[in-house]
Amino acid sequence: MNQKHTLCALCLLSAAGIAEAANYTLWISGRDPDRSGGTPGNYTDFRYWGPDTTPAGVNKKAVNWDGYSSVASQSGRVRDALDCFCTGPNWCYIAAYSAGELLLGYTLANFGGTTRALKNASPNAAGVCGDTGGVQGGWNIKWVRVASGASGGSELANAGAWTTSEPLVQDLRTSTARAMYNHNDTRNIWFYRYAGARGTLYSFLLPGQDDEVVSYHSSGGAAGSSGRTLCNPGDWFCDDLRYGTERNQGGSVKWSWHSVAFRDDGEHFDHYGDGNWQGIIGVVREAMVGSATN
Amino acid sequence: MGWRWPAAAGVAACIVLGLMALVGDGEALPEAAPAAPIAPVVARAPPMPAALEERAARRRQLVEQVRLTDHTYCSYLAHARYPHDSRPAGHHPDQLYPNQALLETNPMRIENGDSDAAIQLQTSQSRVYLAAGEQAVFSLRAVDGSGQPLPLVVTRALAQGVTYGASRAAPRVSVAFTEDDGAWSAPLAPAQTALAGFHGTIRLEVRYHAGGRAGFVLFDVLYSPLLPAVWRGGASEAIAGGSLQFSLPLDVRLAGRYVVTGRIDDAGGRPFALATFNDLLGQGTQQVRLKVHGKLLHDGAPRLPLRLRDVDGYLLREDADPDRLLLPRLEGQVFASQTATPDGVPDTEWHSEERSRYLAEYAKDRKLARARLSGFDPHAPLPPDNCVGGNRAQ
Repeated sequence: MNQKHTLCALCLLSAAGIAEAANYTLWISGRDPDRSGGTPGNYTDFRYWGPDTTPAGVNKKAVNWDGYSSVASQSGRVRDALDCFCTGPNWCYIAAYSAGELLLGYTLANFGGTTRALKNASPNAAGVCGDTGGVQGGWNIKWVRVASGASGGSELANAGAWTTSEPLVQDLRTSTARAMYNHNDTRNIWFYRYAGARGTLYSFLLPGQDDEVVSYHSSGGAAGSSGRTLCNPGDWFCDDLRYGTERNQGGSVKWSWHSVAFRDDGEHFDHYGDGNWQGIIGVVREAMVGSATN
Repeated sequence: MGWRWPAAAGVAACIVLGLMALVGDGEALPEAAPAAPIAPVVARAPPMPAALEERAARRRQLVEQVRLTDHTYCSYLAHARYPHDSRPAGHHPDQLYPNQALLETNPMRIENGDSDAAIQLQTSQSRVYLAAGEQAVFSLRAVDGSGQPLPLVVTRALAQGVTYGASRAAPRVSVAFTEDDGAWSAPLAPAQTALAGFHGTIRLEVRYHAGGRAGFVLFDVLYSPLLPAVWRGGASEAIAGGSLQFSLPLDVRLAGRYVVTGRIDDAGGRPFALATFNDLLGQGTQQVRLKVHGKLLHDGAPRLPLRLRDVDGYLLREDADPDRLLLPRLEGQVFASQTATPDGVPDTEWHSEERSRYLAEYAKDRKLARARLSGFDPHAPLPPDNCVGGNRAQ
């Protein structure tokens, strides 16, 4: 083989290697009581979010689940997706929305250190990928951005504002969501939190600032066994939710590895995506487009 | 894993050259902690021609990417000195006292779905998860806007297992609340009621009168009626695997993945570490090992000897609802260590395939972000290459 052929072979080998290692952007959906969202296991079905032509990060994948059953019973959907796209040479950026954060947090805390089979990123109809041989400890996740995270629960579930016949609603009670798993155990992966504040309808139920479904104590990642009242700066009667990992006004702390990246001081963003990447989802989508890259 | 980088190394030059092209790709502004709002920065930017504005925005993006990748790498490096199953207590602020009652204050909920903020209901609940044989205690009292107690009378309290769909309705039991100095409380011990065999969420609905209005409050506990394993007693300690390990014998009746957490205090009773166990256990007598990693012991320099307390755990049932069968809770001191000096415990950082994998990837991203910024603006000052401060995880 002459020098030219050697060079070509090297290039092909390298190109193949580079093509095999990829970054993916996973979008984990939230509650979906009428189950009209994307088909579980179909990673190209972005119905829950909006048009699938909308940019939302490199190699975007929709991690659909039924949005109705308990977190525990749906964790397998997330594990399938993480196995598919976040093992071996592949790495993931993750966007989690509302109850989708509870689902992801539960999965990482309980299964984040388990032995995973390496997968080929080619899912079957059920959303399960083929083995490539070999195993590793946990998944490959670069970081997570959380739109209105509900891992601290919602007082709407406490108060019976949602139907009590829905298993997920029981999980979303503030006391249950906060006791369900150790929220500090993210495997040293950052959760960057985006908290919306354009809520009015349920303000009598939701303490402090809210986006009409989730209060700042949850969307801002405040630690503790129950919710608390947190607001934007300027409210003399309410402690401020603070940026980053800083303690909130009044001294409450955030879960470890959770950092407030966006606080809706202008009260512009509500909870709802409206099937078009709107509300707080839109803020996270913009962040993902730029930072979830190759 | 190792396959790719030798191959990629062969075209390292191509990759570096490719960075110049990749610089043209769009990255948005990532916020790493602690992050400041981005919008005001944009709003304060002076007017400039579109091309210059675009270039400035692009530069800001690249700077932010450098900051994000720096933060990601450095914080991981700093915190991965210790394994995930042996962490400083300060990293788990809400996990240190699992047996404290859960206290809440909420506006009184009234029958029509509304609430009355003038009447605040203070509630407490001793447990959220209940193992077989355990009980939870609930209490409530009403106060006005200034915190003064209001008369309250519990009129009815019923506990029922929550079921879904076609499932047969679970039994419903009455819960007897008693009043003491304006506060009403009651225990619920499912094993002593018709709920003894129920597995799942038990909802206690309490109806009351306060401030001349009728209200209600809901409490949920998650009950598992079966013990998957029982503690045998006879805990011991040893120095092994780079850690001081506390071994708790467990008679396992149901095999599977057990998740167990223990709190470790120093000799003065100050929380020092949180230890977790998450592994598969077969039937029979097994050892649950809760560790204080050697590096953590040396870095933290706690007053010795240590004490293990408040151990709880469960058998995790994958993809099932309910997802766990709880172990009997070990409250208070579980084991008093006899190890009076850290001298025999290795002072070495945690190493694992997972840690190496993460550090390699994060370092790669960091280099790439720096190369992109340098390629775009060769005069751009880069942050120091070494990791310095500002990367705390909580």
